[in-house]
Amino acid sequence: MAEHHDGHGQLDTKSDKGHDAHHGDAHHINYKKIYFTLLALLAVSIIGPEFGIVWVTLVTAFGIALVKTQLVVNNFMHLKWEKRIMKWVLTTSLVLMGLMMAGVSVDILNHEGNNWENVAAQAAVERGLPGHEGELAVEEETEAEPVAAAFNAPQMFGLVCASCHGTAGDGTGPAGAALTPPPANFTDPAFWATRDRARIVTVIREGAPAVGGSPLMVGWSASFTPEQIEQLADHVMSLRPGQ
Amino acid sequence: MAFPKPQATLRSATGIPTGRLAVWWLLASEVVIFGGVLGSYLMFRLGHPEWADAAAVTNTYIGAINTFVLLTSSFTAVLAHQAAEKGDGKKAAGFLLLTIGGALTFLMIKSYEWTTEIMHGYTITSNGFWQFYYTAAGLHALHVIAGAIIMGIVAMDAYRGRELQRVELIGIYWHFVDVVWIFLFPLLYIAK
Repeated sequence: MAEHHDGHGQLDTKSDKGHDAHHGDAHHINYKKIYFTLLALLAVSIIGPEFGIVWVTLVTAFGIALVKTQLVVNNFMHLKWEKRIMKWVLTTSLVLMGLMMAGVSVDILNHEGNNWENVAAQAAVERGLPGHEGELAVEEETEAEPVAAAFNAPQMFGLVCASCHGTAGDGTGPAGAALTPPPANFTDPAFWATRDRARIVTVIREGAPAVGGSPLMVGWSASFTPEQIEQLADHVMSLRPGQ
Repeated sequence: MAFPKPQATLRSATGIPTGRLAVWWLLASEVVIFGGVLGSYLMFRLGHPEWADAAAVTNTYIGAINTFVLLTSSFTAVLAHQAAEKGDGKKAAGFLLLTIGGALTFLMIKSYEWTTEIMHGYTITSNGFWQFYYTAAGLHALHVIAGAIIMGIVAMDAYRGRELQRVELIGIYWHFVDVVWIFLFPLLYIAK
């Protein structure tokens, strides 16, 4: 405790802001004022993006985050009054982290270079963005496999799935109209934002509760072989918008 | 204290009290941990335009309420420090309790938010965005939990007028946890 006060005693002389009423209040900061400034900045950072203008969003979201950080670090953490060595330690840490990030950035931001290609990342972008041609080619190859002849997935979808999910897979089947939550709409890009093929396979096999979804979507592992489920999943994947 | 203090706690070669020096060193390493996660997220996000669809799902208002909760808890933490500076351990303990209340409120809101998202099928395996979402916010939540526990211990000592310098130390850590959230909020909730 003793050395603590000594440290502050030294620093106090440097940070004289004119009021001496609060004796023992180390840095004479009006914490309430800082707090309300932070809340005002929070409000701006929420309202800013509502305009939908990119640069306004960037400034209000990230610019204000920097201002808030500066307010907290200086006035709440009192780094402003800390010995210089600590500022150097923290800055060094930040700079080294930045250097590492800058070093790897070219490999992460780009998905291909002169002599390399990040196939997995490219595939992820293709899966995620509706209407990409590369994915269509893959689908066609799958459809063309000889096993597809024995079991007709689109036909089976029409028989089994369409009653709820609709013939077009848009979630408007007659039996599905009364269900809560409504049956999945496979033609909705928002639906696909968080789904991949593996998940579709799981839901067909084990039912939607296996991934936290509606218990009304039951599992079909008793009715279809794993291979047939794969083909049904292929058909569901082909219903995505732009396919 | 029943035991004599280790010599290092009473020594200060840098002119900074040893405890505070240790907290700053801890935070210097935290800068790399959180900076690394957030920096990686930012780079991946820029390389994956399709993540925008997933980001659109996060609830900006819940994120904003939690930002408000953490800013408020930072305010009470600094008031606890102010009370400790004046030697008022009981008042400092009171403000620390309010700060713990903030931490618990934050965690309750976060649990509600995550439960809703997981029930809607957005899990850590859904795609790259959700992996970063749960990793970054989860690591942050662990820091909130750790901070709340340590604050409880510091508050108990402070109430008895002991180790009042620790009120400032846990405060510095808590403000850092607040600062991390100040960046998580725009990264995960605002940038759609």
